[in-house]
Amino acid sequence: MILLKPGLYLITSFIALLVLAVPFFLVQASAPFWASAGIKVLTGTEWFPYEMLFGMLPAIIGSTWAILIALFIAIPCGVATAIVTTELVSSSLASATRMGMEVLAAIPSIVYGLIGLWLLLPLLQSSFDLLSGHSLLAAGLILALMILPLITLMSMDALRLVSNTQREAGMSLGLSWEALLFRVLLPQAWPAIRGGILLAMGRALGETMAVMLVVGSLDRMPEPIMNILQPAQTLTSRIGREIGEAAFGSIHFSALMACGLLLALIGLSISLFAHTRVVKA
Amino acid sequence: MMFWKVLKQYRVKGLLILISLPALVLPTICLVYILWQGLPVLNWQTLSGEGVTGFGLEHGMFGQIWGSLLLMLGANVLAAPVALGLALFFNLYANHNTQRTIFTLLHLLQSIPPIVYGLFGLFVFVHLLHLGISLLAGMIILAMIILPLLVLNALHALKAISVEQTESARSLGLNDMQLICRVWAPLAWPTMLTGQLLGMARALSETAPILFTATVFSGVLWPSSIFEPVTTLQTHIFYLAQEGGNAHVVSIAWGAATLLITLVLLFSLTALLLRRIDQHHRIS
Repeated sequence: MILLKPGLYLITSFIALLVLAVPFFLVQASAPFWASAGIKVLTGTEWFPYEMLFGMLPAIIGSTWAILIALFIAIPCGVATAIVTTELVSSSLASATRMGMEVLAAIPSIVYGLIGLWLLLPLLQSSFDLLSGHSLLAAGLILALMILPLITLMSMDALRLVSNTQREAGMSLGLSWEALLFRVLLPQAWPAIRGGILLAMGRALGETMAVMLVVGSLDRMPEPIMNILQPAQTLTSRIGREIGEAAFGSIHFSALMACGLLLALIGLSISLFAHTRVVKA
Repeated sequence: MMFWKVLKQYRVKGLLILISLPALVLPTICLVYILWQGLPVLNWQTLSGEGVTGFGLEHGMFGQIWGSLLLMLGANVLAAPVALGLALFFNLYANHNTQRTIFTLLHLLQSIPPIVYGLFGLFVFVHLLHLGISLLAGMIILAMIILPLLVLNALHALKAISVEQTESARSLGLNDMQLICRVWAPLAWPTMLTGQLLGMARALSETAPILFTATVFSGVLWPSSIFEPVTTLQTHIFYLAQEGGNAHVVSIAWGAATLLITLVLLFSLTALLLRRIDQHHRIS
C-alpha cells in the first residue's frame, strides 16, 4: 500500500497537465491561421474559406444575439418560477416542478435540435411569414428552453437557502409580501442566482447541436444588425458545420481551431469572473 | 371597484405566476410531444431494419444503441478512477492552497464548451496520435468532459463524512488504505454511485464532440476493435433530422430520440431517486 501516495500524486499532476494541454494544443493548432490572417480577422465580416477570407465578426455577433435572446427569456421565467414554487405554492407542487425541470435538463441537446427543427421552425415560419424559419430568434428560443432548468433550479436552491427566521422577521415588521420578496429574499439570494445565470451563459455559448440545426448556417452579417429573423451563424454552429470538410493541416482547419480557442477563452473568462465574484462575496 | 382592489392587491403575484407559466407546462409538453412522435415508430421493423431500404435505415438501430452504450461505458471506465484518485488526493494530502487550486482548475475545466474538447480531441488524438476516427478517441474525449462532474461529486461525497468519524478511525491506528476501504467507502458509495449515473447520462447526451471524432454515418453494427469508428443514436438523430424531403426518415429520427431519452432518463432518474433515498437515510 506504499503505492497509494505516489499514485494519487501522479493522477493529480496528470489532471493539471490536462488543463494546460487543452489551451496549448488549441493555440498550436490555430497558430498557422493567426500567423497568416492576423488578429484583424476578429472584425472581418466576410467568411469564405475557399477564397481565404476568414472574417469572424458575423459568427461572434450571431453567438451574442443567440445568448442575449436566450437570457432575456430564460432569466425572468426561471426566477419567477423559482419564486412561485418556493414562496407561493405547496411543497408537493414545488417538487413536481423541480422534477419537471430535472427532466428538461436531462433531455439531450440533439433532441432539442429535433424539436427546434420540426416544431419550432414551422411555427416561426408561419407566424412571421419567413422563408424557412431558420433564424437567430429560433436559436435563441431553443437555447432559452435549454438553459431554463439551470436558472430555475439554481434560483430555487438559492431562495430555499434563505432562512425562515428572515421571512418571519420581515412579516413581524409588517412588510407586505412584495416588500418581503424584493427587499429581503431576492437581495439575499441574488449572488447564487447570478452564479446560475453565468453558468447558463456559458452553457448557451457552447451549445452546438440544437443551434446548428435551427440557425441556418449562413455566414453573413445580420442586415440591419438588429435583424434576428434572418438565417445566421454562431461560432459553435460554424465549427460543427465545417470541421468535417476542412482538411487536416489546411488554413481552414486552423481557422476553425481558432474559433474553438475563442470559445474556450470566452467560456474561461465567464467562469473566472463568476469565481472571483463568489470568492469576494 | 372591488375588482380593481383585488387586481391591485394581487398584481405582483399574478404577474409572477403568468411569467412562470411556460416553465410549469413546457416539460410536460416537450416530453409528450417527443413520445407522441416517437413511440408509434418504434417497432421491431425499425429496430432491426428488416425489409427497410435506404438512407442507412436498413441496418436498424441496434448498431447505434451499442455504439452509444459503448462510448458511455468507455468514458465512465476511463474517468472514474482518475476522479476517485483526485478526490482522495484532495482529502488526504492536499494543503489548503492546493485544494483551492484544484477547485479552480475543476471549474475552469467545466467551463470549456464540449465542442472545444471535440476539437482538441480531433487535433491531438485523431491526427497527432494517429488514432483516427475511432471509438477510443471518442471515449477519451467524453471522459474528459465528464471528469469535472465526477470529481466534484466525489468531493461532495467525501465532504459529507463527519470529521469525528475520520478522526476516530485515525486514533484507532488505521492507515490511509484502511481508512479509505473501511470508513470512507461504506459511507460515500451511494453519493459516488449517483455521480457515476449522472456521468453516464451526460456521456449519453453529448453529441457535438463525438460527431467528427468517433462516429460514422452508418453501416457499423459492432465495431471490431476500439480503433474502429461506431454509429451512435445521437449522431443518427442528427443525420436523419436533416432529411427534410422524406417524412418517413424524420419520423425514424423521432423514434431514435425517444430511445435516447429513455436511456438518458433511465440513468438520471435512477441517480435522483438514489440521492433522495440517501438523503432520507441520512436525516432519519
